[in-house]
Amino acid sequence: MSISHSDPAPSVAALYFDGRSARAHPVTLTLHGHDLHLDGAGLSRIDALPAVRLSEPMGQAARIITFADGAHVEVRDHAALAVLLAASGQRDSTIVRWSFQPRAVLALLAGLLCALWFAWQFGLPWAARQAAPHVPDEVVTALSQQTLAWVDGGVMTASTLDVQRQQSLRSALDAAARVDGQSLTHALMFRSGGAMGANAFALPDGTLIVTDQLVALAGNDDEVLAVLLHELGHARSRHGTRMLLQGSVSALFMAWYLGDVSSLLAMAPTALIQAGYSRDMEREADDFAARMLRRQGLSPALLADMLEKLAAAHDKDAHSPDSLPAWLSSHPDTAERIARLRNGDFMLN
Amino acid sequence: MNNPFDQQAAVPAAGNPFVPPAANPQREPVLFSGRGAEYFGIWIVNLVLTVLTLGIYSAWAKVRRLQYFYRHTTLGGSAFDYHGDPRAILKGRVIGFLLLLAYNLSFQYSPVAGIVVAVVLAAVMPELLRRSLRFRAHNTSWRGLRFAFDGDTRGAYAVFLMWPLITVLSAYLLGPLWHQRLKRYQFDCARYGDTRFAIDAPVAAFYKVYGLALLVVLLGIAGTVALLWPFAAANPVVFMFLPMLLIVLALFVQPYLAARLQNLVWNHTRLGAHRFESTVSARRLYLITLTNLLGIVCTLGLFMPFAQIRVSRYRLGCVTLLCAGAIDDFVAGQSADAAATGEGAADLFDVDIAL
Repeated sequence: MSISHSDPAPSVAALYFDGRSARAHPVTLTLHGHDLHLDGAGLSRIDALPAVRLSEPMGQAARIITFADGAHVEVRDHAALAVLLAASGQRDSTIVRWSFQPRAVLALLAGLLCALWFAWQFGLPWAARQAAPHVPDEVVTALSQQTLAWVDGGVMTASTLDVQRQQSLRSALDAAARVDGQSLTHALMFRSGGAMGANAFALPDGTLIVTDQLVALAGNDDEVLAVLLHELGHARSRHGTRMLLQGSVSALFMAWYLGDVSSLLAMAPTALIQAGYSRDMEREADDFAARMLRRQGLSPALLADMLEKLAAAHDKDAHSPDSLPAWLSSHPDTAERIARLRNGDFMLN
Repeated sequence: MNNPFDQQAAVPAAGNPFVPPAANPQREPVLFSGRGAEYFGIWIVNLVLTVLTLGIYSAWAKVRRLQYFYRHTTLGGSAFDYHGDPRAILKGRVIGFLLLLAYNLSFQYSPVAGIVVAVVLAAVMPELLRRSLRFRAHNTSWRGLRFAFDGDTRGAYAVFLMWPLITVLSAYLLGPLWHQRLKRYQFDCARYGDTRFAIDAPVAAFYKVYGLALLVVLLGIAGTVALLWPFAAANPVVFMFLPMLLIVLALFVQPYLAARLQNLVWNHTRLGAHRFESTVSARRLYLITLTNLLGIVCTLGLFMPFAQIRVSRYRLGCVTLLCAGAIDDFVAGQSADAAATGEGAADLFDVDIAL
């Protein structure tokens, strides 16, 4: 774009600082072709446009034009500067334009929320599934032992179940926990559930913990076995490790995101995110249990019966949220899982 | 003694050079003109690019954020500016990340390796923090002149290694003393142009601020335990709420500490013959912090940029420069320190580790 000579050259009032003293010099900037002329009382300089640097616009804040030798001018007359910039053909960078256009900001915001939701819903579980088999066994064992120590440190107490019943359950599980003739790594532990009530869960290293209350709730050993096989399914597919990986990454992200204001706040959402296994994981564990039960000549409906009993038992003391086992926390899904097990539309291979 | 509150009744000087400056200082308020809606755009672009680049852009984001805040902060009609090189900041972040990773992994490996890494960390951290202070000061300017920090390595090891150890060994009884020493190191070694900063905040004042905060926390814990005691016999689970109580108390005490410490430090700081006045009210800051938290929780974090602007506007707006004489006379006498030019060579080793 060329400027005709009849137009008055655009000029801007500014304050000049030479970079060697803090004294401010009132000056006028004018554009002549591709040169920026600076004139004030007792000083004048001419700089080629490519040699000067213009700070990005930031609302009403002064814009700063920096010269090659470190001197600079502060411009607060934004309207006049806009005329001068238009004449010079200067254009703000894309990032700067995004920051100050409401439509671009809204679009970015929507894009960010979508990307985060997608990453959390699909990206993170996928990455955790890939990474879980590569977590060293020592780490898995150490994590499991930590959890067991926490459980024994006051959450649960020693089992009062008679030794013969324990032994018969152990041998039933030993017989059932086999895939292709190979015994699956597992250890069965009995505890008195305390506030947790009737419950069973698997630690990442294959340790299964079942409470006396659950054994009492079950009509017979086969029903307990159904639940244990479901938990073994979680352990075998490393669901615990996967949830832990997902939880850690989410926690790290929240800590970084909220860290600016208060790292204390970062704790709350993490607790919500680590609510329990996903619906898919429950389904996978159900399928595994159903398969193993069939192999023992038992019906997968045993697990459905237990799910029903557990849901009913925990509904009774629903006033204490602590008592709800993690694998029942997604409540509407329980009915669907029961129907699925009874109808036999699980994957059998 | 330099008690800044003696000056509160002073009327602004009408630029009369014959009035003794200390008796009648010219008041130059610090003004902050940032706006939440405006900063939101910068914040969201920074956030998106940081997420997309897996954190690498965060260094550039920090520069843009600081430039927004600095350029909206004006004193005597001129804005502050930030000149940090994003690459130096990125370097600092990579170093910080690696140190943290090494520290966490080594303890998984073996306790001996963990202790070795911890010792190495303790040995290099003070020097890294000293360089960060220098980086921050050197990259801050007002009216074309840079601030500077020339604290020595010995002082850094004293305030970042020796005093923390003493504090822990004394069961945190000497914590306020450490804080005073830290502020002395930060301010006594700082200068603007060729004028030095100096601080004379007494240790007793630090003890008073921390003592009151501690008293509130202890009373809060005692009160809650007394309240929970009758229920604890029936169900010991209620004591699981104690950590949550500590978080609430921390949220309660943090604005108080921030307000009182800012006043304490700036009311005892001098820049040459000039002094500062800071009048942050703990109650006002508490209200701002509380409403900010509510806003952030209700908007899942989107209120964050507005919250940062609100806090900055209040805290910066409470600071006034008490200029001994006309500000124009002061600035006219300021020139870049000759030694400052030598700092260009040190840029190669500059890092910025977030404190």
